[in-house]
Amino acid sequence: MTATADKTVLEGLEKQNGVTLGRVLGRGSVGEAEEGSDGKMHATVRIPLDELVFEPRLLVLPHGGDLELEIINDDNNSHCAVLPSNGDLKFIWLENFARGTASLNLDGPGYYWYGSRTGNDEGRGLTGTIVVGGEVPEEARLDRPHQPRP
Amino acid sequence: MATETKYVDAGAAVDFKTLSTMVGSAPPVAKGVAYERILNARTEEPHNWLTYYGAYNGQRYSPLDQINAGNVKNLTPAWVFQCGSMGMHSGASTYSFEASPIVVDGVMYVTGWDGWVWALDAKTGTELWRYKHASPYDVSLCCGNVNRGCAVAQGKVFVTTLNAHVLALDAETGEVVWDKVYGDVRAGESATVAPLIVKDMVIVGSSGGEFGVRGHADAFKLETGERVWRCYMVPKPGEPGSDTWPADGEAWARGGANCWITPTYDPDLNILYFNTGNPCPDFDGAVREGDNLYTDCVVAVDPDSGEIRNHYQYTPHDVWDYDSTMENILFELDGQKLLGHFDKNGYFFILDRTDCSLVRVVPFVDRITWGEIDAKGKVTPRLFPEKEGDPVHFWPGPAGAKEWTHAAYSPKTGLFYAPVQDIGATATRRRREFKESIPYWGAGVAVDTEDVAGYVSAFDPATGQEKWRWTNEQPMCASVLATGGDLVFAGAPSGEFRAYNASSGDMLWQFQCGSGHHSSPSTYTVDGRQYIAVPTGWGAWTEGFLPGMLGAAGGAALFAFALPE
Repeated sequence: MTATADKTVLEGLEKQNGVTLGRVLGRGSVGEAEEGSDGKMHATVRIPLDELVFEPRLLVLPHGGDLELEIINDDNNSHCAVLPSNGDLKFIWLENFARGTASLNLDGPGYYWYGSRTGNDEGRGLTGTIVVGGEVPEEARLDRPHQPRP
Repeated sequence: MATETKYVDAGAAVDFKTLSTMVGSAPPVAKGVAYERILNARTEEPHNWLTYYGAYNGQRYSPLDQINAGNVKNLTPAWVFQCGSMGMHSGASTYSFEASPIVVDGVMYVTGWDGWVWALDAKTGTELWRYKHASPYDVSLCCGNVNRGCAVAQGKVFVTTLNAHVLALDAETGEVVWDKVYGDVRAGESATVAPLIVKDMVIVGSSGGEFGVRGHADAFKLETGERVWRCYMVPKPGEPGSDTWPADGEAWARGGANCWITPTYDPDLNILYFNTGNPCPDFDGAVREGDNLYTDCVVAVDPDSGEIRNHYQYTPHDVWDYDSTMENILFELDGQKLLGHFDKNGYFFILDRTDCSLVRVVPFVDRITWGEIDAKGKVTPRLFPEKEGDPVHFWPGPAGAKEWTHAAYSPKTGLFYAPVQDIGATATRRRREFKESIPYWGAGVAVDTEDVAGYVSAFDPATGQEKWRWTNEQPMCASVLATGGDLVFAGAPSGEFRAYNASSGDMLWQFQCGSGHHSSPSTYTVDGRQYIAVPTGWGAWTEGFLPGMLGAAGGAALFAFALPE
């Protein structure tokens, strides 16, 4: 075994029907949401043609709160998205070349998966991640000296 | 030349529940539920199951007797509610349906794993509303993606979430009324406890005892979510009990003692009986010399101030992971106010609950090798992971002779009924550094997969004697329910839900639910018909309490049984 993979293997992991049948989850591009003047965070994810992924694959929110997410399907197939949000999961159907929005509330910190529950889109790569950074409110923390973290 | 894509307007994402047959609202039955009604839950409204244990005393006893020892053989499913699993969620292999359903005048409120809360028609199983909290995938969970239930009062449903929030939901719609964070997920805290309503407060506790947190209980105002108090279960230096921790260093700050199971409450004495978890690191006692108060204790707390009045420690200086989080059942015997407690350490304790002094202690499982507790409560440890790298086998294992799942007490028979696990484990001390959010056990642990047994046992609290025992091939890992129909109900890891004669222990009925039991059944009536409700769905910390059943089928169903109409 080698600690680093061959370039061909790496390239084969970054496309559909390369080394794998679909795309390995949790790899790929990282984007950041922007804070809006409306007190909400804003971001866009796209589904590129024939890639069966959300771009960016990981969307980072600086803290918990409301996210206005634009979702654009640039693929010539229909997909959907089931997204996490406090209250209920959110669902949007995305026909070929469709554009829609989702209003999400995530309290974090931590990360959340979302995906297209069509066929096995989720396994083929259409499973994205929303990462919520930050700390819990001061009043929720333990009364103890600062402790080491990994 | 590139052409601009003309997009189809997909609109805005909708709530997933709108794409189902969910009704959307529940009748306003919870508006009238208040502290006074819960005080009289058993005497005034036996048709309901108003609070986690059915009543503040934790007896898990219902006087309902339509279903009884004579006709239970005819019991049949009236309806089944199934919830399944959607997408990628934390504990994807460990989610388990562990709740105790609350029922108020025909409406059932029940929680699932991963932030699910449902209101169901208790007569038909129809979904009235749902709430789903978005739980982080990477939250620290020692024991699986689980939740043990909700509380209902003043038109609200109260629930805790994996990321340590306590929520108040509108009981008619499931909409959030208020949301408070009371734990730090970055420190390894989480929440799985079913809240308890006391006066105008909702009482909760923290999980995270395997991650070196400092356990605590919290009280919030029902109406506003304003915090009333926090009670830490490990004292800071200088506070009472701090001399049971090393004087130097910060062992106390990582000491555990989490309150992850609902307390019981005596309204006359005005005392909450909290049940605390293991010290941390679980198995490496050398880094925390001393008794380590208030780990593995019953802690008597004033509900108005959050101050500790008394305690009794079931396992001083625990190095076997013997949480005492399981219930302290309040009962009276010969005019004495007592509490009964089956501890992980294999002993059944009877305490005077006015001062938490020991009245009686007896073993309730066949094999106890970790040590001995004599009749006066003196603890003599014998086998424990002491030397680095040396494996030590002991009974009971870290899941205990009884897990968190609950015993019951029938005032009709005067007997306690307990689900018992006779299963050992090997622990090998492996010292490690403490780092926030990383498991802090101080050992490698392997629980036995062979030579295990279980039983449902009945005990006389007056003598400590076992009155009957029904033996099962596997340990019994689900809560017991006792009823006025001379019945005791208990689910098995292999999926059977069973009814026993409360006096003799004879098995009278069973139904295969298709997945193992690790929950707390409740009973109620609607329109004069009695139902027994039991969530099923095997999972959680199976590697700890029954690894021989790690490969058993999971599930996600709530069964309501009744006699044929």
